Amino acid sequence: MEPETKKRKGMESDPDSSWHVIPVLSDEMSEEVTLLDAYAVPITDKRQTSRLVKDLSVVHPLADLQHIKRVRACKDKSSPHALEVIVCLVSDISISAQTRRPTLTDLLTSKDFNLKGLGEPFLVRIPARAPLTRPQFERASLHWPTSFHEDKQVTLGLTGQLFTSSQQAKIQEYMTAAVEAARSGREEGMDAVGAAIVDPKSGRIITVGHDLTRDHPLHHAVMVCIDLVAWAQGGGVYPYGKHPACRYTVSDPLISSEESAQPYICTGYELYVTREPCVMCAMALVHSRISRVFYGASSPDGALGTKFKIHCQKGLNHHFDVYKGVMRQTCEELTLLH
Amino acid sequence: MRSDNTESDVMNGSFLQPSDSELQRWMSSAFIMAKEALESGEVPVGCLLVYNNMVLGKGRNEVNETKNATRHAEMVALDQVLEWCSHRELDPKEVCKCCVLYVTVEPCITCAAALRLLNIPLVVYGCKNERFGGCGSVLDVSSADLPHTGTAFKCIPGHRADEAVDMLKTFYKQENPNVPKPKVRKDGMGPAGGSVTTHTRKHEGDGKMAASD
Repeated sequence: MEPETKKRKGMESDPDSSWHVIPVLSDEMSEEVTLLDAYAVPITDKRQTSRLVKDLSVVHPLADLQHIKRVRACKDKSSPHALEVIVCLVSDISISAQTRRPTLTDLLTSKDFNLKGLGEPFLVRIPARAPLTRPQFERASLHWPTSFHEDKQVTLGLTGQLFTSSQQAKIQEYMTAAVEAARSGREEGMDAVGAAIVDPKSGRIITVGHDLTRDHPLHHAVMVCIDLVAWAQGGGVYPYGKHPACRYTVSDPLISSEESAQPYICTGYELYVTREPCVMCAMALVHSRISRVFYGASSPDGALGTKFKIHCQKGLNHHFDVYKGVMRQTCEELTLLH
Repeated sequence: MRSDNTESDVMNGSFLQPSDSELQRWMSSAFIMAKEALESGEVPVGCLLVYNNMVLGKGRNEVNETKNATRHAEMVALDQVLEWCSHRELDPKEVCKCCVLYVTVEPCITCAAALRLLNIPLVVYGCKNERFGGCGSVLDVSSADLPHTGTAFKCIPGHRADEAVDMLKTFYKQENPNVPKPKVRKDGMGPAGGSVTTHTRKHEGDGKMAASD
């Protein structure tokens, strides 16, 4: 890493090409690896391995730890034994046995258990939950091997490789429409927040809107865009004639008849918004069934990453992907205009 | 001393605590609004915004009618309050600070945030909104620490809750008005009220139970 060179490179280029799309993942996907204390035992007779795994799974099933691989190869290559096996969690045995250094018979109390091929127990720490991301998997694996069902999209997102350069250019194009709307709103004395809703199938911008809170305290840019989509679909509540930068396109009847019915509200649509939505707007996007949200600047009471993560809130019936950091510098400069 | 008490009462909305008879009266009006929603094929939620014994706003769900998923009863009623204020050149936040919302179902997360943004101090509601509730059921927006999202508000839950739930159940039992109706057979062999396909049921169940969606 040479920060000097990096900095110089960043300064030379256009500030808007210096941003990175960052996925806003759920708390479960972002959290550190939590560990549980467990007892492992060396397998002194390798030929007993499959029998031991089978017998152990009966006496100590480790029901909530399906991700844990019961047997691992010994880390120390010079060790006399090649394999080690998890016997049980520390919490599985009696407190009195925990306080002294437990022997094998403390862990495997049944007289019927064939202890052949097992050495003396030692303490290990094993990951409490299945890893959900590659970084979590890598950190978990330092402690004990686990299985990992990789979501390739998440891995690409975390390494900044999810979007191709042409997709990145599209994202910038849509966010630029939102930024321009924010500036038009600002000229009308509104908060400098703008948004655009896009149909990714056709690549068309369906609506562009900006904050109108000077006219109505609840008319945040996102609420305006949601109502503009309603207008585009033959509904809608508020008039926007006085605000030329708040606009919508009615879908071409020829195209829409071919593409069967109109989507249910914002199903399949993407939102681009200069500032992280508040609780009201974030939940309005859940109600409207938006498919993805991209935003530029975070906000102090934001509900898509900062204060809440409404897009992956447990108990809600609709979830969507959220990405932040799009044209971050430009969007942060807009929030300074307030 | 006295003015201190009044100040703190204003802060927590307890000065607006309605008497039993007031509460019953306003809630029964809210239930009439909910019934009207049901008859119009909307999720049956109705509400009233009351200021100094005056009804400034009256709303019911209008989501299907407007194709705008945020047209919940509360939003409709809040618009009427804002309109009332603008005609009289009053500051809406000053008026809203003294309003009580009476609503048949716990406000959803969107509406709870909207009520905060307008400084509504007290909400009286019927049943819980298990799917979308913003006053504790899914999230507690009403009391969350959100310094840039207006003011927290107090809730009085549970008034005629069973009745509010029954209305929601009635709505979900009937056909989804957005799905074309299958033809009812003339020989009367079809189920009463027209048939309900599994597909329709699935669609209705899609997050609509106990919701103001």
